[in-house]
Amino acid sequence: MLKEILNDNLDEVKGCEYAVVDFNATWCGPCKMMAPVLDDLANEYAGKVEFFGCDVDENQYLAQEYGIMSIPCLGFFKNGEQLDQSIGFKPKQVIAAWIEGHLN
Amino acid sequence: MGRYDIAVIGTGPAGLSAAITGTVRNKKVLLLGSKDLSLKVTKAHKIANYLGLPNAGGEELSAAFQKHIDEMGIEITEDKINAIYGMGDYYVLQGGENVMYEATSVILATGVVAGKPFPGEEENLGRGVSYCATCDAALYRGKNAVVIAYAPKEEPEADFLAEMADHVYYIPMYKEEPQLSEKIEIVRKKPVSMERDGSKMKLVTDDGEILTDGIFILREAISPKQLVPGLVTDGPHVAVDLQMKTNLPGCFACGDIAGTPYQYIKAAGQGNVAALSAVSYLDELKRRSK
Ligand SMILES: Cc1cc2nc3c(=O)[nH]c(=O)nc-3n(C[C@H](O)[C@H](O)[C@H](O)COP(=O)(O)OP(=O)(O)OC[C@H]3O[C@@H](n4cnc5c(N)ncnc54)[C@H](O)[C@@H]3O)c2cc1C
Repeated sequence: MLKEILNDNLDEVKGCEYAVVDFNATWCGPCKMMAPVLDDLANEYAGKVEFFGCDVDENQYLAQEYGIMSIPCLGFFKNGEQLDQSIGFKPKQVIAAWIEGHLN
Repeated sequence: MGRYDIAVIGTGPAGLSAAITGTVRNKKVLLLGSKDLSLKVTKAHKIANYLGLPNAGGEELSAAFQKHIDEMGIEITEDKINAIYGMGDYYVLQGGENVMYEATSVILATGVVAGKPFPGEEENLGRGVSYCATCDAALYRGKNAVVIAYAPKEEPEADFLAEMADHVYYIPMYKEEPQLSEKIEIVRKKPVSMERDGSKMKLVTDDGEILTDGIFILREAISPKQLVPGLVTDGPHVAVDLQMKTNLPGCFACGDIAGTPYQYIKAAGQGNVAALSAVSYLDELKRRSK
């Protein structure tokens, strides 16, 4: 399970060197498919990249602030700043390559 | 239902040939498509160049295909696949009415879809262009949106969107009079192209422009990119190598969807190659897990 972001509070993400935020919603089918893939990746990148879940209904301000137009959407954060977004469901290998491309 | 070794999507010559070779090689094959096989086969008048069946008619070729799969005990699961998700070492296939199938490898043999995307459509996908109103509706609270719909069955999606959005323009790409909630404004214009304009999207039509927060395009045909998120394409086709491998491990493509020429025997031949590549992939996975 990913750490849930609550009350539009992104402080914990901002404290991470590298973080991936999964913008999702309970009614979004592709988001559900993405969940086990992200759980796997969170385990594989433990200690390197932190993974967070962000429900766009619960966190409407953040969704607006980070320009979320379509979900699922992953935001890659370095030291609290969003560097890139990956939009739509992506296969595990493709997300892993996307993360690798942003490390160091 | 369990996990299949190979899921084949499409019942034209490419898919049937792939299913036959997969079965010959003792793999657990799921064949998805239509009990009528392929309209591109049955509708052909005279086929001069299919090996072994000189000047066969389309119906005749189709009957020969049917006999072949029957004799091998291959059954067709009649379903339309809407999305294929790469989960890592397996795939989840989403059928109609949200039936889910699981397979270790996937062979795409869906033929080519007519109809090109609008200029500016693919570049802005997820950034103001969406194919699923029910998925993204909630992100349009207090905003306005344009829906371009190709069939009356999309009307409930527009109604759902209108419950969230401030204003919805609806462009029917069909003749029937749409039955929609009163909040929706029906626009009889022809979309030409779309582009980003600051934080908005600009839809260019044959009769002026519409500035909007987002454009929803609801059409029946599924492009390969939409079918398999993350797949690398080459124009309307899936990019493959000579082994029919795509960029995704365990996902193969064959027949018309893999590129020109569009020919029966080439489709059947590529189906054979794709199945053998899937078999090697499965064997390799097994070796590695030992
Ligand atoms: C009128 C006509 C005449 C032709 N004459 C010749 C000829 O003389 N010689 C020749 O070599 N070629 C000819 N062709 C070309 C030939 O039809 C194609 O090259 C061939 O059918 C391609 O086979 P395929 O298996 O790749 O795809 P198709 O035959 O198009 O089969 C695709 C299958 O996939 C299924 N499908 C698609 N999407 C999904 C989905 N999402 N979920 C489940 N199932 C799906 C479809 O229902 C269909 O069964 C002709 C074509 C036409 C239209």
